[in-house]
Amino acid sequence: MARSGALKLAAIGLVAAALAGCASESVSIRSVPPENPAAENAAAIESAAAFAAAAATAAATAGASTGEAGQGSHDTGHVKAPLTAADAPSMYTYDPWERLNRFTYRFNARFDDAVFRPAANAYLRIPSPIRSGVHNFFGNLSEIDSVINYALQWRLKLGARSLGRFVINSTVGVGGLFDVAARFKLPGAPTGLSATLGKWGMHPGPYLVIPFLGPSTLRDGLGFLGDYGTSYEIDVAKLYRGNVSWGLGGLNALDQRSNVSFRYYSTGSPFEYENIRFLYVRKRLIEDEGLHAKDRRKKPPAEEPAGE
Amino acid sequence: MPIAFAALLAGAVCARGTELDAPAILPPPASGPAVGLADSAGLRATVFGTPPQDMAAMPSKVPLVEINIALPWARPVPDVFWFDRKLRVWFSAQHKPAPLAVVISGTGSDGNTSKLSILRGALYGAGYHVLTMPSPTFPGFIVSTSSTGVAGDLMQDGHDLYAAMQQIIAHLPRKVRINEIDVLGYSLGGANAAIVKSIDAVEGKLKIHRAVMIDPPVNLFSSIGRLDKLFAANIGSDDDAVERLYRTLYAELANLYRASDRVQLDEEFILGAAASVLKTDAEFSAAIALSFRIDLVNVFFAGDLYAGTGVVVDPKHPPRVGDSLETTQRILRNKPFSEYFSKVFAPFYLQHRPNSTAASLIADNNLDIIGDALRSNPDYYAQTNGDEVILDRREQAWLQDTLGSRIVVYDHGGHLGNVGERQQVSDMLAMLAGRWPGAAP
Repeated sequence: MARSGALKLAAIGLVAAALAGCASESVSIRSVPPENPAAENAAAIESAAAFAAAAATAAATAGASTGEAGQGSHDTGHVKAPLTAADAPSMYTYDPWERLNRFTYRFNARFDDAVFRPAANAYLRIPSPIRSGVHNFFGNLSEIDSVINYALQWRLKLGARSLGRFVINSTVGVGGLFDVAARFKLPGAPTGLSATLGKWGMHPGPYLVIPFLGPSTLRDGLGFLGDYGTSYEIDVAKLYRGNVSWGLGGLNALDQRSNVSFRYYSTGSPFEYENIRFLYVRKRLIEDEGLHAKDRRKKPPAEEPAGE
Repeated sequence: MPIAFAALLAGAVCARGTELDAPAILPPPASGPAVGLADSAGLRATVFGTPPQDMAAMPSKVPLVEINIALPWARPVPDVFWFDRKLRVWFSAQHKPAPLAVVISGTGSDGNTSKLSILRGALYGAGYHVLTMPSPTFPGFIVSTSSTGVAGDLMQDGHDLYAAMQQIIAHLPRKVRINEIDVLGYSLGGANAAIVKSIDAVEGKLKIHRAVMIDPPVNLFSSIGRLDKLFAANIGSDDDAVERLYRTLYAELANLYRASDRVQLDEEFILGAAASVLKTDAEFSAAIALSFRIDLVNVFFAGDLYAGTGVVVDPKHPPRVGDSLETTQRILRNKPFSEYFSKVFAPFYLQHRPNSTAASLIADNNLDIIGDALRSNPDYYAQTNGDEVILDRREQAWLQDTLGSRIVVYDHGGHLGNVGERQQVSDMLAMLAGRWPGAAP
């Protein structure tokens, strides 16, 4: 208990430092992870090959297509008519809490700059195999939410895949440290409560910037709480309620942050809030289009502001 | 490449602007076609960059520190730019005495772009300490470093860069031993680098030895004017142009996504989507024009705020942190560079330079202001491409005529589409080290 209290105090101190906008000296020199251009280039060669393959597939599809969307899908029976430019949602984003959101965005940027990102950079010094193990471990835990939500979305094939992944990785993969299932051609496809709510017709709702977490929508925020609540209730191996829960939560946060290259205000732009909001909400709306791709019923045309 | 595609998406934000007044002072219309010297291959190279298999050998470890520095001459930071208070640069140190290469970024970009990473890798691998700096047109530089806030004037920006370099070099860790300083830059940064060297030739505070310009413009305003033409031709100049582009892209992406059976819109999907969406010269041109316009929006906003010209920012009530900037961004998205020049840049500099005229401001933003030095001093070098997007034939000929054997023109590469390529890197290193034919010792 004492340890958990100390952790909470440390967390509060760090937040206070972030809020105060620390690091006010005139020159600061921070070490950041070294670059490996040789490896980046090797990765780019792979990526270019993937792009060439994608271009070839796109060309082949365009050649074979009769203009219907969904030609490549496994289930062409219920495919809807392709979207046209007129079906695209408004460019405006429904953001009734913009003022509060903007202050939260600034808080998150300061927190990230002063605490979260430096901690993630320090975490990146740990050898990569250990970090992969941590990443796989948390990914495996999230399969439980995926199984439940795929079932609720009535996407049983994907649910079975998540269940298969959880069983294989928890056993052969030593408690989830190794993603053995991916080698058996069962790659991860995480989902959650927000997608379930979307599947059953709930709109993303207003744009919402959540403290520490970042860009979201009301539905995504509820989804996050629901997913966490589910994990907390199930409490696999007492990981969510036991003494280790704070430490594991922190490790999970470091793992997630270190896998995201985004940096607040690296664009230097005063319009970053608008740009991120636009991209985030459009991404989620397109993902919703995927959720409804095979619905029998025709979705009404989206004329209302995006995200509403 | 996905970055270019993201730029396409990011750019498609909002576009219903107000009616434009006819500008009173205009930069000269850009000569030649909107794509400059580029053909289809040049446009593709500009968007995709150097094919990774053509890249020069790179080191496997480049140490990096990030330096944030508050400059003594900085003015009060406007509320909306709270995050740009300090100048941020990146530095890679050798463990032994070595020459320092200072690399300046291209238009609107910060000091840690992917192109700078490539150059940093090549230079560090060749034994240089490497300092990478943002462009003077990057908002973070405009706010933390610029002495005017109105970016785009070659000489003014050069003086600001030069002053900032002195401060940064003075604050480098003591164990770093520098035995020579060279400057280089790509795109606008190339022109900035040459200007900085010419300023140093007078002031002598850094004793800069050589300067290498990678794909520089010659006449700043005609290069930018060409990109404006590219925007008008491939996206449109009416108020709904960006919205039309957004709607088309959204529908195309959503259809591809629906057909893909994916459960997340991830990078892999974007890669495939880009392959499907970017096919024609017009689409590549749109991507190039839009990514430039996104940068211009920031420069325009900052300039208007600092100069108090009131185009989109009310000088008496500047926006604050909680205020929405969506309408402002939407209006600026439709404004070409010519309007920045006529409504912000020219009014500001005409007021601050008593003997100047619109014509003299335009003439001052041409590399020929240091033409004599470029012609006679053997320490200036340049690299450019035969299918360059930002040059026309006359400008390219001027560069060749002025620099003589100290410029190399590659057949192919568009604008920056061969940065990091084996020959480009090998020539750049030869130029920097004085190993180029005809180099002065």
